[in-house]
Amino acid sequence: MLLKDVELTYVSPCLADPQKIRLKARLSDDISEVMPYLNSVVKGAIYNHHAPNISFHKEFRLITLYPTEMTMIKALNTTDAWQVIEWLKELINKTHEKKDEIEPSYERKRRPHPLQLYTWLPATNCRECGELSCIAFAVLLFSGQQKLERCKPLFTEKYREHKEVLMEMASVLGGGEDIRIHY
Amino acid sequence: MSIYFDNAATSFPKPEEVCEAMLQYQRELGVSSGRGAYKKALEVDGMVFKTRSLLGRLFNIKDATRIIFTSNVTESLNLALKGLIESGDHVITTHMEHNAVWRPLKVLEEERGLKLTVLSCPEGEKFNPGDLEKAISPETRLVVVNHASNVTGTLMPKEAGGICREKGVPLLVDAAQTAGVYPIDVEELKVDLLAFTGHKGLLGPTGTGGLYIAPGIDLKPLKEGGTGGESILERQPDHLPDKYEAGTPNLVGLAGLGAAVRYILDRGLENIRRHERELTQRALETFPQVPALTLYGPSSAEERVAVLSFNLGGLPPEEVSYVLDEAYHIMVRAGLHCAPKAHRCLGTVDRGTVRIGLGIFNTEEELEYLTKALKEIAVQAKS
Repeated sequence: MLLKDVELTYVSPCLADPQKIRLKARLSDDISEVMPYLNSVVKGAIYNHHAPNISFHKEFRLITLYPTEMTMIKALNTTDAWQVIEWLKELINKTHEKKDEIEPSYERKRRPHPLQLYTWLPATNCRECGELSCIAFAVLLFSGQQKLERCKPLFTEKYREHKEVLMEMASVLGGGEDIRIHY
Repeated sequence: MSIYFDNAATSFPKPEEVCEAMLQYQRELGVSSGRGAYKKALEVDGMVFKTRSLLGRLFNIKDATRIIFTSNVTESLNLALKGLIESGDHVITTHMEHNAVWRPLKVLEEERGLKLTVLSCPEGEKFNPGDLEKAISPETRLVVVNHASNVTGTLMPKEAGGICREKGVPLLVDAAQTAGVYPIDVEELKVDLLAFTGHKGLLGPTGTGGLYIAPGIDLKPLKEGGTGGESILERQPDHLPDKYEAGTPNLVGLAGLGAAVRYILDRGLENIRRHERELTQRALETFPQVPALTLYGPSSAEERVAVLSFNLGGLPPEEVSYVLDEAYHIMVRAGLHCAPKAHRCLGTVDRGTVRIGLGIFNTEEELEYLTKALKEIAVQAKS
């Protein structure tokens, strides 16, 4: 087992959403060596090999792992945070256990800009997603407050290629979907 | 030497680890959870989550935030019933229920016009699953049954969950007599609401309990108040478990409950069940050797947990209990055991029964000593 324990060191309300919490925690063991493997298995992770750190979303929560620390923002409450921390411990240890079977990835993905997202949307302003315009939808998609699946025209045959590009771009945004892990 | 046979009321003794965890919390931590951001408060927060998570492992509950801590199973049942039932709803239950189910249902009958169907359990046997299927109507809002009777130990029919799921009716299970001593898998049993207490089979301290609420079930809270977080809100937060956990929790109790569940997981639930089933089987074989002893409920240990009710000839149960305590230092329970309807099924409502609740620390020798004592009492009563 690589990571034995996680100790919560700081909890406070989120600045952007005071009904949610942000936190810091100390890791009992250095997890640097597992980060490139996490970058491979966690779909949509953003990894910086030189720092090193790795960030990804679990649904609406944003998690960043450092060698011996971690942060989480937008957790619902401390019970929710502890549950995610327990899940993270399992993810880190399982990935470490399986690292001989995983090709490490040192690729640094970047978050797309809202205008880049907009470029690939149908631009019909149909409002089926509940937003006033496609640009508004793109901004909310960027901030993780909208789901790609809400754009109905995108899921028609006409926009099949656009959908594939957007799904790839949106994988680093955390739009409310649960995280995808691929071993 | 005294022998404790009242584990159906509360288990005793508790594992040493439980006492140590409670002492350690009170001596070395002692602070509140969810109410501060200093290290000790966060440590206590982690302890509370660990207890939740261990219970999740025991009951196969994947999302531990859906386990709500309460002060006992009575509070859990009240939260489930009063949080779900609305005006004119139809509810199905059985004659074997404890007053913790029965009394809230009677209040709801009076206050919200609840319509009640009660399934019969002749002579304390399990209800017929076919009767349950027939009783469910489009107006049925809930089925509430105990997982095992606190009078006879009779286990609920396994088909109940499947029938309810097929008909789209939520199932509330009162696991007061099974949590910690009989396997509970909420997925396999198809349970939507699981009410449990911490101080019986789970071996934790009194003042602890919980309610598992399956995804898709929304209850009105039983109480509102401080949760530590989201203090700006004038209403109760929507997130679990805060929505249902107002006020400072029983932290010393939860420290003990966590240690107790860890003890059960380490010892192995299947080993605990085997031990209690063997003791029950032994009692089912030896009790009939006692002159004039009438034993109630199923004749097979497979169909019950380690709770047995009996009467000794025409002797009042209280008299039997008194003599066992005074002359033999054996502690048993006498009376209606808070389940008067169950005694109507057994034909004992006018006098009750003597009840023994076996636990993991009871031995076959203790059971033999009880059988010998009962034989002597029966002989003396006859003379």
